[in-house]
Amino acid sequence: MAVTMRSRFVKRHNQDIVYRWEGNPLINIYDLSFKCSNIHNAGTVFFKDEILLLITIEHLSGQCSIHLARQDANGYYQVEPNPFLSPSTESKYKQHESHGVSDARVTFLEGMFYIMYNAFGDHGYRLGLAKTGDFQSVERMGFISEPDTKAGALFPARIKGRYARLERPGHGSSIWITYSDDLVYWGSSEIVISPRDGFWDANRIGTGAPPIEIDEGWLVIYYGIKDTSAGPICRMGAVILDKQEPTNVIGRSNIPILSPRENYERIGDLSNIVFPTGAVTGSNGDLNIFYGASNSCICVGTSTFEQIIKNCIESQEEY
Amino acid sequence: MINTRPRGLDLLQRWEGNPALTVEDVPFRANTVFNGSPVVTEDGVYLLLRIEGQRGYSYFALARSQDGLHFTIDEKPVMLPANEGNFAIYEEKGIEDPRITVIDGVCYVMYTAVGGYGPRIALAKTHDYVNYERIALVSEPGNKDGILFPQKINGRYARLDRPIGLDRGSIWISYSPDLVNWGDSQVVITPRSGYWDEFRVGASVTPIETDQGWLEIYHGVKMTSAGPIYRIGVVLLDMEDPSQVIKRGDQPILSPREEYERIGDIGNVCFACGAVISDNGEMKIYYGAADTSICIAMCTLNQILKEGF
Repeated sequence: MAVTMRSRFVKRHNQDIVYRWEGNPLINIYDLSFKCSNIHNAGTVFFKDEILLLITIEHLSGQCSIHLARQDANGYYQVEPNPFLSPSTESKYKQHESHGVSDARVTFLEGMFYIMYNAFGDHGYRLGLAKTGDFQSVERMGFISEPDTKAGALFPARIKGRYARLERPGHGSSIWITYSDDLVYWGSSEIVISPRDGFWDANRIGTGAPPIEIDEGWLVIYYGIKDTSAGPICRMGAVILDKQEPTNVIGRSNIPILSPRENYERIGDLSNIVFPTGAVTGSNGDLNIFYGASNSCICVGTSTFEQIIKNCIESQEEY
Repeated sequence: MINTRPRGLDLLQRWEGNPALTVEDVPFRANTVFNGSPVVTEDGVYLLLRIEGQRGYSYFALARSQDGLHFTIDEKPVMLPANEGNFAIYEEKGIEDPRITVIDGVCYVMYTAVGGYGPRIALAKTHDYVNYERIALVSEPGNKDGILFPQKINGRYARLDRPIGLDRGSIWISYSPDLVNWGDSQVVITPRSGYWDEFRVGASVTPIETDQGWLEIYHGVKMTSAGPIYRIGVVLLDMEDPSQVIKRGDQPILSPREEYERIGDIGNVCFACGAVISDNGEMKIYYGAADTSICIAMCTLNQILKEGF
């Protein structure tokens, strides 16, 4: 599927603040040159005038690895058959990646591209950190969390002189912030936002796209899950955090900005999921959000910053 | 008008215009619309709808129709969760699944109040379908699917409800002299092991008086490894003592088969909430599909009584 700035986004549903691209799904497994089980979640980055995607591929064996996708001359995304990052065979990393690596989130910080990903091994999920300058080679920097932490995303700037990340520890299912002076040793963890009883994000939440700096603070697109008798429903929301003290919430959307409604979001390996992992600003100033749908394909939607910010600040009256 | 699919799968025939209402028909921002209770008025058929808002809790809106098929939804919700008074803490997480019963010309709505302590049954009344006056919370926590009978039975009001005991969700009956204080509860039907309704059962449609007894159209749930399947079934209850079952259908009269019943926020759900019967016995049954839309299925009362059991 082609996605360029000439592509159209359509307001299919009055209910959603994010409009879907009319060519969705952007990439599904039929577009691939190799066999796999499913494709989901796209880390997103601007690199040399193109939008690169770091996609999670679940292989037929059941293991996940991270693959690079870029647009060809016709604007169609092509996924490279060789993994950009695959489960490590080095003894140092092996046992913590034996089940796979997934959900890359890319942050450009001080001249380098950092990739935070889920390492899934014998002892649960941990956050892994890697870096690249050219998207051809990648260097592992190590595991930076305790087990059962996932959905990590690095801030694109230091906060009060320190590096900072958002993450989702297993216990409590909330979004936390953790700081570091060197990207290796991390601490000063504090809670940022939690699931809200009775809301669409009642059971679990986690960072979607890495924080985006706006005038009002840090804009974080996150995912929120409500458990139902038929399984979870995963929707997309937004929150604005204070620039200097990100534990201070400036505004949080009372309602989701995107909910599963289309068949490609409803039907798949895991149904009723829209899962954001990256967002880039388009040439028209709008925010293009890349998301995995039903753990089976990659989609893109768009909204204006104004709409999303308004929704964070002024959604108290929504019913 | 009705689906021409060959008979054999389901006793009820789906309306070809299904789904009758989706969130696209709601004039304000919402997540989904499902489960609507009908009432016949001088001005056509009204449906009291359960809408799940974007924030995640449910409330009620009104839809109006001349033919009982094509509905228009009012610009604003008609009943939101209480935010003050003694109902407020029990409606913190919304109000769900309204069922209308008209008794002696008064329109009552029994609904599920969802709060931090679990679901409870609540009762309200209305004279214009737009303004609702809350009467009382009428059950303990852990109870839902309450429906008033359309007339007193041996001098007492009666309701069906769905408490859960020992993990079994059964249909019970309770009585009241005044609609506020309730008692004399007895079990009516329970889930049947090995059947399509083996996990849970609950009352769905306001009981319909027939010459054979009270016809209750209920929902039955089977739990599978992929989640629950909600189907619609029928049971006939004794007119004088509705805790006595005259007969109960072995098979559902409608099962999820169409995409709009299979795909949605909760897939594989057909959940009836009410029925309208015309003078010639033709029925329209309103049901929520996949917790995402409202659909209509048709039948005659005679067909249900003859073939449903």
